[in-house]
Amino acid sequence: MKKTDKDFEFTNLPEECNDSSIKKEDFKFVKVDPSFHETKFETKPTTFLKDSVKRFRKNKSSVVAAYVLGALVLLAIVVPLASPYDVSKPGDTSLYNLQPKLFNGGGFWDGTTTMKNIAVDASDPDQTKWRPDPTRFLEDGISNLTISNAQYTDQANEYSREGYVNVGYFGSSNFTSLNSRVCTATLKPAQYSIYLNEFDTVNEEKIKLYNEYYDEPYLTDDILPKNSELGEVTLQFNYEDEEGKHFVIDLLTPKKVHNIGSPLLLPDTEPIDISPIILAKSGFTTEFNRYWFSIKVSKDPLSTSSDKDILSLIKKLTIMPDVSLASSKVLEYFTGYLNNVGVYIPGINFDNAGSFVARSSLIKDGVNSFTNTGYWSFNEYDINSSFKKVHLAVCHFASFTYDTYKATLGKRNMVIEDSEINEWCDKGWLYLSFDYDDITLEIYPDTFVCVILNSDRCPLVEPFDYTDIYLYHYDDETFFSVKTDILYYKKLGYVTMPKFLFGTDKTGRDMFKYVFEGLRNSLLLGILTFVVCFLFGLLWGAISGYFGGTVDLVMERFTDILSGVPWIVVMTIVILKTEKSNFWTFALALCLTGWIGTASLTRTQFYRFRGREYVLASRTLGASDARLIAKHILPNAMGTIITSSVLMIPTVIFEEATISYLGLGFKNLSSLGVILSNNQNELTTHPYQLIFPAVVIALVMIAFNLFGNGLRDAINPSLKGEEE
Amino acid sequence: MLKYSIKRIFLALITAFIILTLTFFLVKSLGIQDTSFGQKEHVRIAFFANQINLGYVVRFDHEVSGYGRLLATLTDSEGVWYYYERPLIEQYGAWLKNIVTKWDWGTSTVIEPNVSAIEIIKQRLPVSLKINIVSVVISVPLGIALGIWAGLKKNTWIDHTISTLVMIFISIPYFVIVSLMMYFLCFKNQLLPSIWPSPNATTGYKIAGYIIPVVSLSFGSVCGYTRFVRAELCEVMSSEYLLLARTKGLTKNQAITRHALKNAFVPILPSILAEFIGVFGGSMVLEKLYGINGIGDLYISAINNKDYNVLMVDMAIFTTVGLLAGIILDLSYGFIDPRIRMGEKK
Repeated sequence: MKKTDKDFEFTNLPEECNDSSIKKEDFKFVKVDPSFHETKFETKPTTFLKDSVKRFRKNKSSVVAAYVLGALVLLAIVVPLASPYDVSKPGDTSLYNLQPKLFNGGGFWDGTTTMKNIAVDASDPDQTKWRPDPTRFLEDGISNLTISNAQYTDQANEYSREGYVNVGYFGSSNFTSLNSRVCTATLKPAQYSIYLNEFDTVNEEKIKLYNEYYDEPYLTDDILPKNSELGEVTLQFNYEDEEGKHFVIDLLTPKKVHNIGSPLLLPDTEPIDISPIILAKSGFTTEFNRYWFSIKVSKDPLSTSSDKDILSLIKKLTIMPDVSLASSKVLEYFTGYLNNVGVYIPGINFDNAGSFVARSSLIKDGVNSFTNTGYWSFNEYDINSSFKKVHLAVCHFASFTYDTYKATLGKRNMVIEDSEINEWCDKGWLYLSFDYDDITLEIYPDTFVCVILNSDRCPLVEPFDYTDIYLYHYDDETFFSVKTDILYYKKLGYVTMPKFLFGTDKTGRDMFKYVFEGLRNSLLLGILTFVVCFLFGLLWGAISGYFGGTVDLVMERFTDILSGVPWIVVMTIVILKTEKSNFWTFALALCLTGWIGTASLTRTQFYRFRGREYVLASRTLGASDARLIAKHILPNAMGTIITSSVLMIPTVIFEEATISYLGLGFKNLSSLGVILSNNQNELTTHPYQLIFPAVVIALVMIAFNLFGNGLRDAINPSLKGEEE
Repeated sequence: MLKYSIKRIFLALITAFIILTLTFFLVKSLGIQDTSFGQKEHVRIAFFANQINLGYVVRFDHEVSGYGRLLATLTDSEGVWYYYERPLIEQYGAWLKNIVTKWDWGTSTVIEPNVSAIEIIKQRLPVSLKINIVSVVISVPLGIALGIWAGLKKNTWIDHTISTLVMIFISIPYFVIVSLMMYFLCFKNQLLPSIWPSPNATTGYKIAGYIIPVVSLSFGSVCGYTRFVRAELCEVMSSEYLLLARTKGLTKNQAITRHALKNAFVPILPSILAEFIGVFGGSMVLEKLYGINGIGDLYISAINNKDYNVLMVDMAIFTTVGLLAGIILDLSYGFIDPRIRMGEKK
């Protein structure tokens, strides 16, 4: 029935609506045609992909993550190809441990570090000449140097003087855990250790030093003046020889004593007295229930054997605490052994009693005498121990800005061999010509020309003079070397001072390239593992889920067992089995268990879809199993499976980094885990070597996870908010 | 339920058995490590005597061909002996027999020579256990509290902050966090000990030594629980029965405590129980970095030193812990929510 406007009546209208100015005639039907038609969409139909992209774009954090990830992947591809530095082998020593540099000056990320509390050599009366250890800090790199007043320090260094050594042990402890501590003595330079029974007598005027890093002993007499003296010594050893005969070794006033870092100085005169010992006052150390004692070493007056013989007789060493200093507490006796690798003195905890400082003693080497700046220490292997060693040593400290680039790559005065000079000449950077009539007799050359032709490339700061040349003859041939100022970075082949964005590591590798090469390897491993695991997992899950029944049961049990094995176990077995771990071994180890996640996900999806009507319809039309799987079920399940599986890539990167970090990973290949593992020990000294790779791996992980979650939410909106 | 539990435990035992068997064959196929090589004759004889005792090596007074690898030829007072590696299957039999009959898992060869592997584990386990328990006790309540907070304040700045932090901390590799913590807290500011304190240290120092391991271990599980609890709570909060609870007159707090939390905790509680089983495992990275002599550190040194007997015991612990946690997780579902029947046929 067609409706007219008369059919509509207003009823119960409120007062104000009953406005007579609006009449029924004012209203008109928009459309009076009784039949309605669907209109066409004015917008274009959207595809699933477009819709997903639209949804993805709405998720701002995922978009940012995608950009970050893209940038990182791009860097991982581009940087290793474009960077001119070689990271496959260690670089020049001058490139070691350069700070990160992005800006030129400004104090931030400019290749400088602010050094604080660095001990300075205060032996010179002129305070302006006080400098930190010149072997660690080259003069050219130091700026803004400020030196503190004399300070008491608990940790002795080579420049401290007048301190006290504490020899102590934990009162209530037993000593079983201390058996592996090897006590050796150290002198400046610190890498030399002297072993007790290896030194010669004074008369031989030799000091045998061991280099800790190479077991070969070698003789040296230029490191320390011969026949030099050290300060007071406060150790006494009671010992028994092999027959159980008791000896007391007294340390005597060290008049003619080796300047060696051993508490057992060779005595030849009066015994010395016990030195006062001061207890530590700061930090945790006061908490320890420690007993303090002094020990003396003195020669048995009845013994006729030479000093050297006495030392060789020591097989068992008893350290007897001085009871009077130990607040009358009864102390235990404890024993130690001397053997040919050093002294084991288990009673002393070398965490707490380590080095002691020679007290402003004079060193006389016959002609000259000067203040001793060497120090002695018991060198325990635990270098990270922050326990105090020497108490109340006096030292001056400095703080300064140190530019690593200027110091090692800048202007340096050094000797250059003729082969290198000739090379520069051949390259056309330098013109050098000099001539002697009779080279063995003449001092001045007849002609001498030295001109820098290419000032951009030639490392010389300015042309050298003939006086800088040192000539020498060998086998009728004449060689020369030149001592002059050069710009070291040009010697290495750089035209301008290089800038290492992330700094360099301890072997002089450019960290920027190294880190991104590592990232590239990690990503490659992740993607490769993902592809293999994904394909295999898909196949496994499809078969297991589609066929069900016994097939499913057997396959499920198999994955149960496999997934029951901790991944680190699988990894280690593969690595132990192949003896070396390279890229492929690693990928294999990761793939062994990596596919299980994808397989179980695929299986559930197949369970979900295989009973659907369209599958049934297809089957009744005669479609084969393969066709049903590939054409009907898989396309529907794919979205869920692939988006969940993509998150495998960060997991693989994570696992690789962890296992590399444990030292079981790549041996000959860089990866983020390997870099972090290698640089772990630089944490205290060069933290940037850890912070940059750590930030990169953290960024990759965060970006990947955010991106993956965003992708999953976009493709499967029904899963939104689910985190796993 | 009981039947199912027994079935699960039985299956887990079989799985553990298969895993350990596989591992034994794979590891042992690398060959016996003669750690006494180059030492004095009597040390070597003692070493091989122990290996014979364990059933890995056999000795003959003459050379035999085709038996196995000749490991050494040693002379003692009785004459010359030829030591041969027994075939893998015989070694496996001896190993299994020792475990089943005497609960003897063999002795260590490198880490602490000639000390029984079980003894080494006994020494190492308490440290790992202590750290893990403290960490679980702290991290579980903290994670749950944060998760509830974020869930209740869904889509506010509190929720966004917590979720972002969780996202970040879950993504950053664990060893990066430990390294950075050690750098800033131990080396830069020297607030905490930079290495696990020795047993002789004072109580205050020992407690200070717990901070870094516990905090770093807690990061992961706090984040995990926060995310888990938040997701569960959000789901429950939007359910219809909660709406009904509100419409019948309960206050928001009443509705949350009586209905929302109870239901949200059904999947959470089992994972907490599983977490407590997990305390028997050690964290390899942390223990290596912080110098803790726990079983995680032991595992790494056993691999690096190829100390197979110790490796096998350690691996057995890690495997059992993993499997047991899975069982507890599944079984406790049924206890907490009787509607869930695990393993029931459809």
